Amino acid sequence: MKSSSFARPSLSSILQPVFSLRPKHGRPIICSTILPKPHTPIYLRPPAFQATLSELKKWHIWAKNQATSVGSTFSDLDNGPDSTLLHRELNWLVEDALEQPAILLPQNSRNNYDDATPLSIRACLDDLYKLWKQRIEERRPFQYVVGCEHWRDLILSVEEGVLIPRPETEMILDLVDNAVKGNEELKNGLWADLGTGSGALAIGVARILGLGCGRVFATDLSPIAVAVASYNVERYNLQDRIAVRLGSWFDPLKDVQGELSGFVSNPPYIPSEDINGLQAEVSKHEPRLALDGGANGMNDLIHLCNGAASMLKPGGFFAFETNGEKQSKFLVDYMHTKVKGSFYGVNIISDFAGIQRFVTGYRA
Amino acid sequence: MGNGGRFRRFHGCVMIAAFQKLQSHFVMRGINVCQLAGHNPNQVFDKNTLRRRSYSTSTFHKTAQLQPELSVDLINIMEQKLSVIENRHAYLQAIVNQVDALPEEYFTANKELKKLRHTIDVVTELRKKHKEIEGLKLLIAETQDDKDMHQMASEEMGQASEEEKHLRYLLLKSLLPKDDADERDCILEVRAGTGGQEASLFAMDIFKMYEKYSQKKGWKFDVLDVAESDLKGYKEACAAISGADVYGKLKFESGIHRVQRVPVTEKAGRVHTSAVSVVILPQADQVDVHLRNEDLKIDTYRSGGSGGQHANTTNSAVRVTHVPTGLTVAIQDERSQHQNKAKALKVLCAKLYEMERSRADASRSRLRAEQIGSGDRSERIRTYNFPQGRVTDHRVGITSHSIDGVMQGENLDTFVDALLLQQEMDAIASLTSKQ
Repeated sequence: MKSSSFARPSLSSILQPVFSLRPKHGRPIICSTILPKPHTPIYLRPPAFQATLSELKKWHIWAKNQATSVGSTFSDLDNGPDSTLLHRELNWLVEDALEQPAILLPQNSRNNYDDATPLSIRACLDDLYKLWKQRIEERRPFQYVVGCEHWRDLILSVEEGVLIPRPETEMILDLVDNAVKGNEELKNGLWADLGTGSGALAIGVARILGLGCGRVFATDLSPIAVAVASYNVERYNLQDRIAVRLGSWFDPLKDVQGELSGFVSNPPYIPSEDINGLQAEVSKHEPRLALDGGANGMNDLIHLCNGAASMLKPGGFFAFETNGEKQSKFLVDYMHTKVKGSFYGVNIISDFAGIQRFVTGYRA
Repeated sequence: MGNGGRFRRFHGCVMIAAFQKLQSHFVMRGINVCQLAGHNPNQVFDKNTLRRRSYSTSTFHKTAQLQPELSVDLINIMEQKLSVIENRHAYLQAIVNQVDALPEEYFTANKELKKLRHTIDVVTELRKKHKEIEGLKLLIAETQDDKDMHQMASEEMGQASEEEKHLRYLLLKSLLPKDDADERDCILEVRAGTGGQEASLFAMDIFKMYEKYSQKKGWKFDVLDVAESDLKGYKEACAAISGADVYGKLKFESGIHRVQRVPVTEKAGRVHTSAVSVVILPQADQVDVHLRNEDLKIDTYRSGGSGGQHANTTNSAVRVTHVPTGLTVAIQDERSQHQNKAKALKVLCAKLYEMERSRADASRSRLRAEQIGSGDRSERIRTYNFPQGRVTDHRVGITSHSIDGVMQGENLDTFVDALLLQQEMDAIASLTSKQ
């Protein structure tokens, strides 16, 4: 979804008129490109289908057996999910797809519901079989299966072509929260989330800034990401405070150069040669555009680092996610040598697994 | 309802006796006697009977028959307390009114004033009533000759002393030691104990019982974490319950709950005995327990790997460790790391708060130790006997013969109310013995 090194020639066709002549009220996307229509997560679909309790029980038992049969195969193979995790995911699928999910819970198995009871579901029975088959056989990520990811206190719509926000990334918002606390200038300033994907960080930042003057730009190179992020922004009713723009990194933000109070990014940072060895859920299903950071994984981080110097106003805050210790240290070193004097208070922060995941600092 | 009427009177007697003798166990023994008398226990212990026994003010106001006679000792104690309270109130009022009062002084005085407000209102009313009674006494003495006036004054006198009694009772209630935590929300922890799979199945049943009870009460029941056993029972389960006075109502549920039944796994049909432990903790927030972020260590206890974009996992389990005490709480069932962390913190705060409270309790008088629910979690408090269809609480000696009703959360009030009643009786007893 994000990379400056990808698909430059085709960009012009997407980017053309950045400002539409007929801006629709309340629509954050001001762009003439026809964006794909985002999928609705299962849990938000109407319970328009029906199946009997016995049919659903049969499906549930089948699905549980599928999950059990996986054992530790996937986790041994590529650090994928084991049975325990798949069982938990199955519970969540039931939670999302059934109007009365409790009926299939084990503790209700002793309740005497009539097996012929018709139950309302949000996807047809055939689809439930299909979806779980995709999860087990094709290793399709669970979040794509149900069409959403629970992230912080948000439920974000996700689909193929959009990176599924990671739990680690949640911490960037804690870092932003700390920076903004007691700093009215940051709180009421302009922020940007570059390579926004599902819009997770942009939405999180906008909610931290609150109802003041603070505004957030979310940019992404991928039209699908822009469509999905816009959908999520609207679902959280933040279209007045977040502008989603299509384009590579800082390109769509030329009009606010040097005016940003803060920016955050989780850019692609995996070294190209590592991509194929990733767990199947990632390597086979998630967009390479959002993962591949070039030869050493640093291409985009360096690009953002350079951009930060020109985009942020003095005192402006930044937070990047990186691949870990090596990249974080490289980045800090880069800031201290190559763009010397541009930043201060540069810091490396570890995630909950103890990996040196984030680099933060301020524009001098 | 012939029986019901008899019982109601009987209960009235028991209460008066209890108030006079101030021996809590008398009441409970009395109830047991009722039950042994062989009447339909469901009727004896239905909700209404218990509510009637729960000394609600409205009951006392309306049913003169049930007005407890407070013992002379108790009245004397309360009379002494009146001036103590009034003096304290005046002293605090003076601090609050001081222009140059230190902010901290002002704050603590104000806090105490708030607590005293209800009591002082009753005291004022009681003083007024005393004056009225004095006036009426005088009037009665002066109107010996005027028959009509005399009778009117006597009637008013009768009414006034009834009201005085009621006010005394209200004052007594407000003087009883109150647990500040009673109004808090609570954390429920259920753990399977001895008895293997059967114990974990019963742990699930007990957990569900509290869930249904909460629904019935209009409380919010939020499952925090469930560790399932192989047979789909619960090895351990944890929930946050919120609503009005939740902790005060449920605190006596802490302890060992024993079950006697034929397990589903038992082929020979033998009755097994197994046990489940229940812990009820008052909820607290980070401010209550002075929790500092520096004291917390948060980690994901996942097996290695590079994380971040490398991994797509729905496992966002989080473990929170409170470094100074070494307490750890791990939560894994939520769908986001943020929520797992929030829930883990909630449980951790409740545990820290409980630790602080038990420290404070230990240094406090013997008062609490003598009361029910001394906090000893290894105490066997209740037995659920399925073959006989009964549930017995060993602390108050009450048996409910509607085990299904109890498990469905419908008849749990039988015990909850009785335990609260006993708490009140114990408190009265300690109030007088302290003097």
